Amino acid sequence: MTATMNFATARTVQGATWTIGAPRLLAGLDRHATLDLRAHLETHGALPSADLQRLLDHLDAIALAGRGGAGFPLAAKIRALKGGRPEVIVNGTEGEPGSDKDRTLLRRSPHLVIDGALALASTLSARDVRIAVHDAATAARVRDALAERSDAGRVQVRQIDGGFVSGEARALVRALSGGPALPPGRREHATERGQLVLNAESAAQVAVALRMGWRRYADTGSRGEPGTTLLTLGGAVDNPGVVEIPIGTPLGIVLAAAGARSPQAAVIGGYHGSWLAPNPSIELSRAGLKSAGGTLGAGVILVVGDDTCALGELAAATNWLAGESAKQCGPCMFGLPALAQDVSALRRGQPSAVEVALRHARSVDGRGACAHPDGTARFVTSALHLLQDETHLHLHGGCGRPTRGHLPIGKQP
Amino acid sequence: MTSTTTTTGIDIDWTLCDGHGLCAAVLPRHITRDEWGFPVLHGVEAADEAALRRVVSVCPALALRLRSA
Repeated sequence: MTATMNFATARTVQGATWTIGAPRLLAGLDRHATLDLRAHLETHGALPSADLQRLLDHLDAIALAGRGGAGFPLAAKIRALKGGRPEVIVNGTEGEPGSDKDRTLLRRSPHLVIDGALALASTLSARDVRIAVHDAATAARVRDALAERSDAGRVQVRQIDGGFVSGEARALVRALSGGPALPPGRREHATERGQLVLNAESAAQVAVALRMGWRRYADTGSRGEPGTTLLTLGGAVDNPGVVEIPIGTPLGIVLAAAGARSPQAAVIGGYHGSWLAPNPSIELSRAGLKSAGGTLGAGVILVVGDDTCALGELAAATNWLAGESAKQCGPCMFGLPALAQDVSALRRGQPSAVEVALRHARSVDGRGACAHPDGTARFVTSALHLLQDETHLHLHGGCGRPTRGHLPIGKQP
Repeated sequence: MTSTTTTTGIDIDWTLCDGHGLCAAVLPRHITRDEWGFPVLHGVEAADEAALRRVVSVCPALALRLRSA
């Protein structure tokens, strides 16, 4: 991998982008605040047409895994579609507080996402295409982009309100059909109802792969996971924003490029991910994170600097996660607030709190309609394992550091 | 149900479960209750099918379903 840093960036912190290596999804954003259709075609060229077999061959060859967090292979998802003409649903809702990649793509390079959605829709003979977003500004930008095109008459933009759990694929599908934006109690996958739900970055990756062809697409990245991926870097870093990296880039290179300020921990995979020691050799790929005991999730990396109280950061984030429970499922509704109280008690130095927190985390795991309790349990458990020295300080008078709010809480503007 | 279908446990719809606890009363060896009263399953696959059917049928919230393979 060639670690050429491209720092032509940062108009504003919101929507700022930078890349390591040659940009693909973020191409053109060093010159344009947002790509209109003309700038998009100048940057990316025309989208070649593809039939279903060619598309599936491509997706198989590059092992394209969904970029919404679960990492499910897109080709397998397409093959699992049941029923007649499917629906294509692009999920750009991004309720994760630390994530900004899908919003940034949809606001700054909307045509790439639309290209991917239309390519899938035409190869699958889809009956319609919907792009779901959380905020009005993103919805407006995507509608403007659609109005520039002659091939997007069947694409609808839908603004879905809701919190963290409303972005889960089945919750999204439920909201699109007029129901509440909440995960349903029965674990039926959307593909069984003929709905292909894919993350906005996944759609953009399809558009990039069709243009490049799978051989060129695979000339960067790691062996099992070719290509690039988007990350969102935040917390105690000088260059926060959305970053495109070759998959497998070591964490140390990304943290150095981000200007990480004395990290004591990295939260990787967002608030359903893990607290990890900021080991520079961790490979940023799904396999690399797995062997480091974590998960890449949707690519969120939050740096917790050594000048903040890590238990204070953990307590604030856990409290927020407890508040994001949809309160549909008992173990989550009662267990997550209990877990948040345990973390706060630990921060205040209560000796029994670690044991009780670990017990509560175990007791919520796997006991809900969606993965919110499981993800929250993983987040807290990984922190308690990593922060044993910090915990020791708190049991003996405190760490002496203020909580600076390195971990973002709540929705992005 | 035909004889070729094998029951392999029960699924809980957590959005329906209110923690009434009748399941735990019927099958205490395999179902206990957490500190808020919600069921915790312990190797429920080992219970015989008739017992599982009974557990499913007593739930007043209709939150339980037989899982079949």
